[in-house]
Amino acid sequence: MNPRREEHEITVGFAGNAKKIKVKVDDRDLRPWDLETKFQTVGTDQARADGVAKVTGRARYAYDINLPGLLHGLIVRAPIAKGTLKALDLEAAKAMPGVKAVLATKQPGARIRFAGDDVAAIAAETLDAARDAAEKVRMEFTAEPHVTDVLEAPGAPKLDQDGEVTAPWPERGAERIETAIQAARHVRSATYRCEVQTHSSLETHGLTARWYGDRLTVWASTQATFGTRAGLAGTLRIPAENITVHTEFMGGGFGSKFQPGIEGVLACRLAKAADAPVKLMLSRHEEHTCAGNRPGAIIQIRAGVNDDGKITAFDYRCWGEPGFTGQGGGTRAPSDYFRDTARRDTQDNVATDMDAGRAMRAPGWPQGFFATELMLDELAAAIGMDPLEFRLKNDRNEVRLAEWRQGAEAFRWAERRNKTPGQPRAGGDPRWLHGCGLSSAAWGGMGGPGARVTCRIHADARVEVRNGAQDLGTGLKTVLQMLAAEELGIPVAMVTPFVGDTRDPVGPASGGSVTTPTMAPAVRHAAALARRELAARVAAKLGVDAAKVACAGGQVTVEGGQTLSFVDACKLLGSDTVEVVGERFPNHQGYANSVAGCQFAEVRVDRHTGLVQVLDMLAVQDCGTVVARKQAESQTLGAMIQGVSYALHEQRIVDHLTGRMVNGDFLYYKLTGPLDMPAMRAILFPVANGHTNVGAAGIGEPVAVAPAAAIANAVFNAIGVPVRHLPLTPDKILKALARARRV
Amino acid sequence: MRHPPEDGTPPTFSRRAFLKGASAAAVTGTVPGALPTAPSGPTSYAPGSHAITLSVNGGERRLEVEPRTTLLDALRDRLDLTGAKKICDRGACGGCTVELDGIAVNSCMVLAIDAVGMKVTTIEGLAPGEALHPLQEEFVHCDALQCGFCTPGFVMAAHACLNKHKNPDRATIQHELSGNLCRCGTYGRVFEAVERAAGRKG
Ligand code: FES
Ligand code: FES
Repeated sequence: MNPRREEHEITVGFAGNAKKIKVKVDDRDLRPWDLETKFQTVGTDQARADGVAKVTGRARYAYDINLPGLLHGLIVRAPIAKGTLKALDLEAAKAMPGVKAVLATKQPGARIRFAGDDVAAIAAETLDAARDAAEKVRMEFTAEPHVTDVLEAPGAPKLDQDGEVTAPWPERGAERIETAIQAARHVRSATYRCEVQTHSSLETHGLTARWYGDRLTVWASTQATFGTRAGLAGTLRIPAENITVHTEFMGGGFGSKFQPGIEGVLACRLAKAADAPVKLMLSRHEEHTCAGNRPGAIIQIRAGVNDDGKITAFDYRCWGEPGFTGQGGGTRAPSDYFRDTARRDTQDNVATDMDAGRAMRAPGWPQGFFATELMLDELAAAIGMDPLEFRLKNDRNEVRLAEWRQGAEAFRWAERRNKTPGQPRAGGDPRWLHGCGLSSAAWGGMGGPGARVTCRIHADARVEVRNGAQDLGTGLKTVLQMLAAEELGIPVAMVTPFVGDTRDPVGPASGGSVTTPTMAPAVRHAAALARRELAARVAAKLGVDAAKVACAGGQVTVEGGQTLSFVDACKLLGSDTVEVVGERFPNHQGYANSVAGCQFAEVRVDRHTGLVQVLDMLAVQDCGTVVARKQAESQTLGAMIQGVSYALHEQRIVDHLTGRMVNGDFLYYKLTGPLDMPAMRAILFPVANGHTNVGAAGIGEPVAVAPAAAIANAVFNAIGVPVRHLPLTPDKILKALARARRV
Repeated sequence: MRHPPEDGTPPTFSRRAFLKGASAAAVTGTVPGALPTAPSGPTSYAPGSHAITLSVNGGERRLEVEPRTTLLDALRDRLDLTGAKKICDRGACGGCTVELDGIAVNSCMVLAIDAVGMKVTTIEGLAPGEALHPLQEEFVHCDALQCGFCTPGFVMAAHACLNKHKNPDRATIQHELSGNLCRCGTYGRVFEAVERAAGRKG
């Protein structure tokens, strides 16, 4: 049965570029907010709903759950990178003091896929006791030769001494691109590389599990409460309805925490075996080595450009480095520059005997944007064009075209760019070279149907909104709170949001920047239903026709009669509670199916040491309707900081002899810290997209796409030669400077 | 005051030298010198469980620990004070920051037995009851947090910073917080929050 639809004319786009479109909306849904909507609460600065819980240390993460009789679990892991488990003896471990359960996760003969593959699990009264027992586990392996260096793995491209791929371009689909390359006035070809980055969530993977007979409750550090429940039900073979997953708070996931994982499953199994609750959280070292990563990549690009700056050919190929699975290492180049360009995209994966890659904040995009945007600046330099002008010439996204102009002005691009790359500033310290760079940002993230939200109004005028999905720290709770307050016309302080409990209505996994755009329309719908229901109850109490009573703007009005404040109206509920469930209807065809952004960076490079410092960054980012402004800005700034880290610091370093990561800690795996912080600004660019009744778009991923590219371009502008290998560590800068001196 | 081992077993080997080294390293990157002088008392504990008394957030708490139990594990697992987080367990992230006699330390790098006789202040003890410390208020006001996992550590490090400096400038704040990591990327807003709190104190 097709739902009945009502057509609404709405105004979409952005200030200076407004358009009227017609959208067909399910007649149970609400007219979409648009450019002309006047908001009371939406878009304002509000304190984070769970801010007080977090600053007082009262917020309980999965890691913080203490239960009577709680045991601590750990996983015993293989030290070899490849081979088979030959023998396993757990008896001595079982006999250790305080040990309550020991399980084998592999039987002799099982394959070992990477250094850190699981072999056994232990639960004991303390973590120290479990560690003592782990030392008593006797494991024997038959080791086989491993390959952990991507350049030596089967299928990897050969690189010459300058790091350029030597293999010929593929035959497949060659005709059109070869013709375009031949016809182009200027052609450039170059190879770019990205090292493996680990998610480095500060709360590690894992959960706390407690059984009550055949019912299971877990407190999980997860990006998907419902996915975790489904995963545990499938693996443990128990009905999903027997499982409750709690994630009221979680300490970071960035794409690595969608499944219960081996650690979650083992926590439940150990708890069952020991008949006691078990907490099993990975150690920092395991988090780096066994919990996924952003795959490395080797990317080769050749591109053709005409004298006027139009890109006419773009040939892109990538060898991803996704670890032992050999899958999921694909990367993604921007598309808005190439809408009418001859284009080819070739993706391959190179398997190594290392931990498997996982989704990480815009999976594959930061790598692809780094390579492409740096190539764009190389092309611009080749034809003597300013990089901004070059972008304006080729970018076909009208939102971003406006953002480029706004950003360039706010950043003072023209003024700050180094006009003489490789030369110090006139009159400045000759030791430091300054430069500015920019990059586009993009993502989808409009969400989709499937979520539901409960809204309750109580007689004391407290409003609760509930959904079972999780708030990763993006501010989802605040978004739910603000949207309900907006729709009901009441102060945000009267609304309490609850998330992270699978007994509440279903919500999405937090991946692909869909959580807010998926949830927002459902909570608005729930609040609207609650508003109508409250009016109906008031009508019944007052004995008037329901059609004559309306609740809006924080008041209940009886036609031709009295007006009650929201608080007084709620008092009439007596011992009743209004309870409704709001729906998330499918997206309509609105304005733009993706979000656009751009970023600018200024760096200085120390010619003596090769050190790169980011001095200043600016992002201009579209995220649809801005709901919780402060939290959206925080997330934007956070993605930029993570991007600085990816650009300058982060890389997995592997000892290829043993096949192990040697910097699996926070001493030698460098994250951007307080001393590395540049000045930073986030400008949210409001766009009314009309896809849903709210029109929110996700912001977690688009912002993460651009920083490394903008910083690499700034370094190019500073030193006059491109450094095509992330992270931009001093060794690579010094090498590039030496090469620049030679040529 | 320091409690001797209560099971009467003779001391086996001294960990004093080790503890001194570990404690010095535990001081958040920025404190010149070392920890406050350790109180006098027995210099060794035998392996196994010992009853000790810790002075935490103004109260005396009795608990059982092993000599190897870190102050962090004692606070989290024995006293259920879970605000301090074990993020790196190696003194590299500041997530476990608490104050010992007013000085910020990484509690993952301090043994519980070594904190006997000192005043331990955790995030839970920063402000009494439901009240918020000005720093906590400013963290919320500036939205200087996202997932919040690193936040207690930052608040404690900032508190120790304001104990040391009346009106710290941005560079001093950055320096004093340099032992703390945040993966969500809240640094800029944390600096703002500390500046605002310092301004209120002043
Ligand atoms: S957990 Fe103590 S410094 Fe990281
Ligand atoms: S707020 Fe998430 S790690 Fe700092």
